[in-house]
Amino acid sequence: MLIKLAWRNIWRNQRRSLIILGSIIVGMAIIVFIDALVVAFLNQTFENQIGSHTAHIQINREGFNDNKTVQKYLPDTDKVESLLDDNPDVAHYSRRVITFGLLNSAYNSSGISIIGIIPDEEQYITTIKQYIVEGRYFEGGLNEIVMSRRTAETLQVGLGDRIVGMASTLEGDVGAEMFRVVGLYQTVSSGFDKMHAYVPMATAQQMLDLGENVSQFALIASDLDAVPNLRAMLQSSLGNDFEVLSYAEIMPLLITMIDMSQQSMIFIYGIIGIAMIFGIINALLMSIFERIQEFGVVMSIGMNNSRIFLMIMFEAIFLGIIGIIGGAIIGGGITLHLQNAGMNLGAFSEGLAAWGIGAVIYPELNIAVIFRAVFVILITCILASIWPAVKAIRLKPVEAMRYV
Amino acid sequence: MKTEIIKTKDLDKIYQDNGVPVQALKNINFLVTQGDFTVLAGPSGSGKTTLLNLIGALDSPTAGNVFFEGVDISKKKPRELSSLRLHKLGFIFQAYNLIPVLTAIENIEFSMMLAGISEKERRERALKVMADLGIRELADKRPNEMSGGQQQRVAVARALVNNPMVILADEPTANLDSKTGSILLDIMQQMNEERNITFVFSSHDPQVIERGKRLVLLHDGMIESVSDQPEVK
Repeated sequence: MLIKLAWRNIWRNQRRSLIILGSIIVGMAIIVFIDALVVAFLNQTFENQIGSHTAHIQINREGFNDNKTVQKYLPDTDKVESLLDDNPDVAHYSRRVITFGLLNSAYNSSGISIIGIIPDEEQYITTIKQYIVEGRYFEGGLNEIVMSRRTAETLQVGLGDRIVGMASTLEGDVGAEMFRVVGLYQTVSSGFDKMHAYVPMATAQQMLDLGENVSQFALIASDLDAVPNLRAMLQSSLGNDFEVLSYAEIMPLLITMIDMSQQSMIFIYGIIGIAMIFGIINALLMSIFERIQEFGVVMSIGMNNSRIFLMIMFEAIFLGIIGIIGGAIIGGGITLHLQNAGMNLGAFSEGLAAWGIGAVIYPELNIAVIFRAVFVILITCILASIWPAVKAIRLKPVEAMRYV
Repeated sequence: MKTEIIKTKDLDKIYQDNGVPVQALKNINFLVTQGDFTVLAGPSGSGKTTLLNLIGALDSPTAGNVFFEGVDISKKKPRELSSLRLHKLGFIFQAYNLIPVLTAIENIEFSMMLAGISEKERRERALKVMADLGIRELADKRPNEMSGGQQQRVAVARALVNNPMVILADEPTANLDSKTGSILLDIMQQMNEERNITFVFSSHDPQVIERGKRLVLLHDGMIESVSDQPEVK
């Protein structure tokens, strides 16, 4: 009955309740939309980084990450493969030969990371194949090269043109190989595009006199949560000659940025909550001042302070619940639409590209986003009810009944 | 010998009116026993309502004591006083004071809900008391859909339904026409006679005073006289 009473109380002054509901609905909708946008921003940044090159775990020779020279090839690839094959936590892995070299065309040259890959393996690790905007992915030719459109522009080459790749060999000599451009890619990260070109691994091994050796294993875990344990298992099994790094160790700045962004959302929630809280307090206080005599009556018939406090809190919670439903419908609807259609932020594309994000963002509405918004609104409403409720319970029955 | 329910001892009440102390009650010694049908009468400002509020645990005395069933309630905590009002006392007000957003039956059930009575029992008891008071057909009406007399009957039902020891009625007929007031008094008199429910009225309505078994006449905050055979003043 207390709940019924609280529910009816909020409709005594419909106009006032509807105004305050409007602010709660807008607050809820904003939280849902902004949160979904930030989730999308962070997820897309993370996935683009993982998908462009980093993968979940990289296995290198100890010290390779500090100085990526061809001499730091993996000491025992069979040992690594035996650990990765049939491991249920490993979804895919690929072998890579990595060196820093020079690409030369007839017109220009460009310093670049030349990545030797096995195309069939790499397509499960990175998303370069999906980012090809001209030409095609590898089709088995030994002298095929896939580079970014940006690099092609620098070298002033196009599809079918020939270029020469040069890099220091295992013995310190200069190794060179002729490649034909078969595909141009364009990821969302301009920085990444400038630095990476892909060739078949066998050709890279030949150019660098590496024999059957490889520089790196990149792997994708079957579950992101399995990465820490998998990394630890691989490191302990492979020993100190190997360096097993998780994505968090490879790109600590990004992980820090994601953490900070998530924490900064608390401030955004707080600002929205503060914007709403005064309106709710005001509405509840006005509602209480209108009912002072009635509080005197219910006190006189034996309603104790905790029940009065609870009733006012229920009124605030009801406002919150209605606002949550309305805000979820409006905010969720807008977010879901943009989740499918995308949100074009072309005006900020350069800034977004620096973070490895495309100009079109797809907000991600999920249960956690809704849960956080519901939590913020309910906490705001509960906090907003405290002051008015304290005002009500401080009333003295006789004075309240005399109040005009 | 009748059971003593409420007793006051040297009761004083001083209000501050814009910083000026006003003596509302002075040295009141007053007794209510089981089955009383007592009327506190006197002119406006004589202290009737103040005395009713003090013995109803709605206000605290400036000096002196109020004993309920022998226990001094003057210094009790608000929570204990709430419980006392809920379980032992019933209130009827001049302005009916029903909760406007609740229907008649919900208003009656409200005090039972506060007392922790189950929903099923609440409904049964509310319907029974409404039938006893002849207002069964008003169950689903809200206060603004009822006449003053109907609202006051609902208020009486609300006061009765928790089976209180004492019902305190502050000018219960003041807002009613004499016929409706008379019907209401009949009901309360019947409750007093049949169920031995104790009533204490504050009123200057002659028909209330006529029916009182005992008349306590107040003047300027003091008891002027107590008589068992009241006369219309």
